Amino acid sequence: MITIPYLTAVSTYFSYGLLFAFGQLRDYSRRIFDWWSTNNLQGYAPICLAHEDFYIRRLYHRIQDCFGRPISSAPDAWVDVVERYSNDNNKTLKRTTKSKRCLNLGSYNYLGFGSFDEYCTPRVIESLKKFSASTCSSRVDAGTTSVHAELEECVANYVGKPAAIVTGMGFATNSAIIPVLIGKGGLIISDSLNHTSIVNGARGSGATIRVFQHNTPGHLERVLKEQIAEGQPRTHRPWKKIIVVVEGIYSMEGEICQLPEIVSICKKYKAYVYLDEAHSIGAIGKTGRGVCELLGVDTADVDIMMGTFTKSFGSCGGYIAGSKDLIQYLKYHCPAHLYATSISTPSAQQIISAIKVILGEDGSNRGAQKLARIRENSNFFRAELQKMGLEVLGDNDSPVMPIMLYNPAKIPAFSRECLRENVAVVVVGFPATPLLLARARICISASHSREDLVKALQVISKAGDLTGIKYFPAAPKKQEEEKDGIKLD
Amino acid sequence: MMYVRALPTTDVNRNTEWFTYPGVWTTYILILFFSWLIVLSIFNCSSGMAWTIVHLSHFSVTYHFFHWKKGTPFGDDQGIYNRLTWWEQIDNGKQLTRNRKFLTLVPVVLYLIASHTTDYQHPMLFLNTLAVFIMVVAKFPRMHKVRIFGINADQ
Repeated sequence: MITIPYLTAVSTYFSYGLLFAFGQLRDYSRRIFDWWSTNNLQGYAPICLAHEDFYIRRLYHRIQDCFGRPISSAPDAWVDVVERYSNDNNKTLKRTTKSKRCLNLGSYNYLGFGSFDEYCTPRVIESLKKFSASTCSSRVDAGTTSVHAELEECVANYVGKPAAIVTGMGFATNSAIIPVLIGKGGLIISDSLNHTSIVNGARGSGATIRVFQHNTPGHLERVLKEQIAEGQPRTHRPWKKIIVVVEGIYSMEGEICQLPEIVSICKKYKAYVYLDEAHSIGAIGKTGRGVCELLGVDTADVDIMMGTFTKSFGSCGGYIAGSKDLIQYLKYHCPAHLYATSISTPSAQQIISAIKVILGEDGSNRGAQKLARIRENSNFFRAELQKMGLEVLGDNDSPVMPIMLYNPAKIPAFSRECLRENVAVVVVGFPATPLLLARARICISASHSREDLVKALQVISKAGDLTGIKYFPAAPKKQEEEKDGIKLD
Repeated sequence: MMYVRALPTTDVNRNTEWFTYPGVWTTYILILFFSWLIVLSIFNCSSGMAWTIVHLSHFSVTYHFFHWKKGTPFGDDQGIYNRLTWWEQIDNGKQLTRNRKFLTLVPVVLYLIASHTTDYQHPMLFLNTLAVFIMVVAKFPRMHKVRIFGINADQ
């Protein structure tokens, strides 16, 4: 539920209308200009229709320097951002050899495994020396090493399911597995704000797709009832299979899924539950086991649990955990397992070592410390941002916090102002978010210290004042604020 | 400061989903009103002529973008809407929703204002009537996905 001041909504529409009008005028004048010059197509069709990349050419390219910034160090709490310049008004950007050290608020480095770790990195280097960087084969040919087998067992134990299958790419896990699980004659009901990988997988499967209002179990029940009563389109036969797809933490909202209600509705109507824990595994829950542990849902009730290793474990790849029959079926049918190259062995070793650290099996309590620190950091940061008067989305305990910007001009202004003060933030606009709701997304890490967060708050407050995004009144300062001696303005 | 709540929609088409958020109708009406003021100040004509100019340019702009241009201005949806105009895409193709009724009403109201302020004189009356006739017929539910004489159909 997002609360927008009415004037901001109206002015955002005006701004987009103006940008759209200017873009169209420039396109028209370019077309008139090019009427006189010859085209060099030589009879071939153009690569894309003229208006298909209108958004990229006329809106995205103007503020391209805020996206895709290259980094030249490990994505730790502080990162080296490479400086770029442009000679043609941001149409092309050239890298320089200089880089500036910035506070990293953009990487999904939830538990701090994104840089050198005293337990994981030596083991990864050992595995690199023993197994080399790539397995050069798919899992079924010659790409399964002992590390891969250990990894699948380790992941299954960690998540709380009987078996697991691991693939080399997180996005491909969703887009390659969903078509294998369901086909024509099946029904996929997905949350309206699901990630593109799920949307791609669902469209590729050929099943009918219906969407329910984000995180609203009441609407899910209505959609389920309606669809079960109507049956398949045109023939009205009963559906072969119904899968409901939800995410643990939604990456653009920072909200946690209402899993207990959704699982009870799915049990009532006999639909399968597919839970995508890309952002929640390793980051929430007492021992980091994700949203099931946090909300007290039995893992046996969730039929298919999917996750990625890029966020909390500092590696690459994704996994699917489920019953032994399901994983056996996937191993025989999933193209990501049969044809794609297996996950590289040092990355697999990184995941195993990271899981061992989180569970405390490396002999220290660093895992528990990291989990406590990320929860503390997230709650502190979110509370302070809300006190400043910024509109911050997301539930408590979630390490993802989007700050609403709304106006398209504030997107580059906020991003550039923060970069000038050495804080690297990620800003997101249309079409990844709805047109009206552009935001700056902050990801907190366990490796951020309290001083880092205080500096970030000062910079964000200054940038927020400059761009005018403090849509809510700031909380009045209480006397107890002074007790730790740092004034947060 | 007045706040509104933005409920998330179930529309997956990013090209049309922005029309379901609060504030769109007000912005549309305000843009029309401000363009009338701008036309009055630039051309120094009577208020009736200004309304006629606003009505006719509104007709050409909205006809082009709602009923002529097909597809979406970005490539993320892999071209599944490439055969549909914006009017056919909104509200997922459902007819007679509130948004569609509002968008059908605006040209009619503009027509009434324009004809009234020009005292129903020719040639403005003829041009205004032609414009509103084309606009309203294009928005009928029966005209969903209809291409008359193959105009604007795909190859």
